[in-house]
Parts: sequence; structure tokens; C-alpha cells
Amino acid sequence: MTWFSKSTTTFGFLLLAHACPSSSCYSAYEHSALQSHRAASLSSLSATTQQAAASSSLPLDISLETIVATVIITLGLVLNTAKLRPIQWRVWAGQIERAGEEGARNSSGEIDKDFVGNPFKLLESRPGFVDIRKQRKEFAEWVKQQ
Amino acid sequence: MTSSLLRPPGHLSPATALQLSQQAPIIIKNSPGAVTASALSSLFSAPETPELWTIYENLLLSCLRTGDEESAHLCLGRLVNRFGDDNERVMALIGLMKEADATDDATLEVVLKEYEALLQENPTNIPIVKRRVALLRSIGRISDAVTALIGLLDFSPTDSEAWSELSDIYFSQGLYSQAIFALEEVLVLQPNAWNIYARIGELLLMSVKSGSGDQNDSAKQLGEALKRFCRSIELCDDYLRGYYGLKLTTTQLLNDPPKPSKQAESDGLAPPNLSTLQKLDGLATEKLGEITRRFTAGEKGWQGFDEAEIAAAKELLEKSSSTTVR
Repeated sequence: MTWFSKSTTTFGFLLLAHACPSSSCYSAYEHSALQSHRAASLSSLSATTQQAAASSSLPLDISLETIVATVIITLGLVLNTAKLRPIQWRVWAGQIERAGEEGARNSSGEIDKDFVGNPFKLLESRPGFVDIRKQRKEFAEWVKQQ
Repeated sequence: MTSSLLRPPGHLSPATALQLSQQAPIIIKNSPGAVTASALSSLFSAPETPELWTIYENLLLSCLRTGDEESAHLCLGRLVNRFGDDNERVMALIGLMKEADATDDATLEVVLKEYEALLQENPTNIPIVKRRVALLRSIGRISDAVTALIGLLDFSPTDSEAWSELSDIYFSQGLYSQAIFALEEVLVLQPNAWNIYARIGELLLMSVKSGSGDQNDSAKQLGEALKRFCRSIELCDDYLRGYYGLKLTTTQLLNDPPKPSKQAESDGLAPPNLSTLQKLDGLATEKLGEITRRFTAGEKGWQGFDEAEIAAAKELLEKSSSTTVR
């Protein structure tokens, strides 16, 4: 999905660039330059100002191209966003229990930094009251069994 | 790897703890030992993150557990460098290190005396109070530990960790109603803690099984356990522990219905009628079946469960299906 959204975004940007100054084709910049040149020459020929104002608005195809480009860019960016996280408590909690760390992977496959698992697990593991001697004894037993 | 280092390692399996502590020398070597306070050098060095110190603390705990004292001392040294040895949290870690190093009871007594001396200076040093409680419990002076813990809760009644520890101490002494009361206090502070709901349900079930109360009591307790497990499932989809408890409770209620008591009814804690119970039982069986099936099939997004819990659920399902067949 990512290649699709990324290529959509790139295509949209190309289209926008085409409608805007830099391209060699018929562009908004060239159009406005041409118009101002014409207006200057027309005013020197004492033409009506009304005519100059009407012809200085952009032609339809440039406006359309810009709008289409914007829509395509937006579509590409929206498709590229990370998966939405659940906002319902039970769904969110269920995902933690069901998928564990795997559920918190982002699009690049890394576990999110702010993933804490079940935040209430601390109430049962109680790090402030840890009995380190018991833990060491249990660990030593476990090593012996291995 | 680092993500599990950002969480306290108390609940990790010995294998994971060993793995973490084996990585300790590398992590210590690659992480900055001290962060300079001068503005000029901080421009060139990596920015200081809170995660770094969390990692040191958790690494210290893992290393102490696996007996890698050298790395543990390095971690502690860096924490002391950064926060000073008069920081309350660091003081507790220093104490923890001494407890772990202690070889005989006399040394532990000395550590206990040190804690008491520290508390003379500042009686509200919460990390040290907690260490003292833990040490008292560890050397078997349970009643002293309870007294100290109640003292802590007197001046800090919103400490849910302390309430939970109190409940666990009471439970270890078989005092179920006190243990449940303490957990209810935790629920007041953390009303969405689904595992605590399940824990209360488990305590109620154990209290019924131990037969400490009379017949009236057991109807009420089973009804309450049922409600607690249902609430934990309501708060958390596909909660294996909640469904497991629900299944146990409904089985108990269906096979051996307690006499209805007036007291339970007036409290609104009477078990529901037969058809509701059967529906709940069916639901729990179905859900447990689904969870175990999907976990065993290795389905993606269903691998977060504990293997031992899955095995227990399977066993429960097999037992219940064999009794139904009969």
C-alpha cells in the first residue's frame, strides 16, 4: 500500500508543478507574465480597462489542473498515514491483551516508543516493592533447571 | 529489545531477563555515561532523553535479578552521577543493591537500620518506605510490614501500588476479605484497571473454595465474582483471564448452586437466574475456544497471550467438555 500512496503523492506533485511556474508548458506564471505584458501594451493603446481585467483571470484548464493536483496529493498523503489506533477503551485494551507488542508496530515495523503494554500491570508487578532476593533465588533455580 | 527495557522488568520471564542482562555490557558501552550540563558541549553530543535513565534503571533491575553485579553497579553509578545520591528514587535503588548484595541476615538488619535512619530524616520518603516494607516482608516480619504499609497509606492514600501490595500481603496470609477491600481501594483510584477486576474475581472465587465463609456468604461472593469478571471483559475485549474466571464461576454456580440468601439479594449481588448463567457459560466457552484456537494456529495479532494461560484454558475446556459428555 505504501508504494501506491507514495506514487500517488509524487504524481500529484508533478501535476501541481506542471500547473505552476517551472514547467516549459503553458503555465500560470507564463500566463500572468503574458497578461501583464498585454495589459501594459493595451493601456498604452488606451483600450478599456474592463477588457484587461477580464482577460487577466486564469484560464479554466490551469485552475482545473491545480485543483485535481491538490486532491491527488491529499489522497496520497491520507493513504500514507499510519493505521489509526483504537479510541474505544475495550478495543484498545483488547488489542494489548491479544496482540501484545506486535499490535503496536508502526508502518516501518518498529514497536512504537510510547507503547507501554497494559499500564495496570504495574499494579500486579509492583516495581516499588520488588523483593530482589526472592527474584534472585528464583532465577538461580531456573538456571539450574536449564 | 529497547521497548521491553522501557518497562519495569518485574513480570518478565527468566529467559527474557537473562537475555536483557546479557545485552547490558553492550548497551552500557553504547549509551552515554554522563550528560554534561554545559551548553556548549550539549550542542555536539546526543540529546538527553528520559528513556535513557529509564533504560538504566530497568537494566539495573534485570542485572540484579540475574546476578550480573558488575553491570548493575555501572548502571547505578551512572544514575548516581546524574541525579545525585540524595535523590529519593536513587536512594531506593542503592538500598535495593545493598539488599541484593547481602549474604546473611545480619547484613539485612543493617540495611533495614539504614532505611529507618533515612526515614528519621524524612518520614515521607516514599521509595524508601516502600523498600522498607518490601524488606520486612522478605525477611518474614509480615505484621511489621503491614503496619509500615498502613502508615504509608495514611499519609499517601492515593498510592494504588501500595494498596495493591497491601492486598497481596493480606492474601498471602489468607485474609481474603481484607485483600478484596484493599483491591477495591485500587479500583477507586484506577476504575478502568481490567486486570484488577479479574483479580478481585479470583480472590472471591478462592475465598469461596477455601470455605472460610458460611453458605450465605458464598452465594453473595459467587454473585460478586461473576460481576467482577463480567466487568473485566466489558473493559477489555478477548480478555483470556476474565473469560477463564467467568467460566470457572459459572461452572461452580451451575454444578453446585448455593442456597439463595436474603442478604445477597438485598445487596443486589445474588447470582442471576439459570438461563442467564447458561448463556454466560456458553459465551465463556465459545470465547476461550476461539482464543486458544487462534493462538495455537499462530494467527497474526493473536500472539500476545501467555502460553501457560492458554494451556490452562485448554485444560479447563477439555475438563468441562468431558463432564458435559458424561
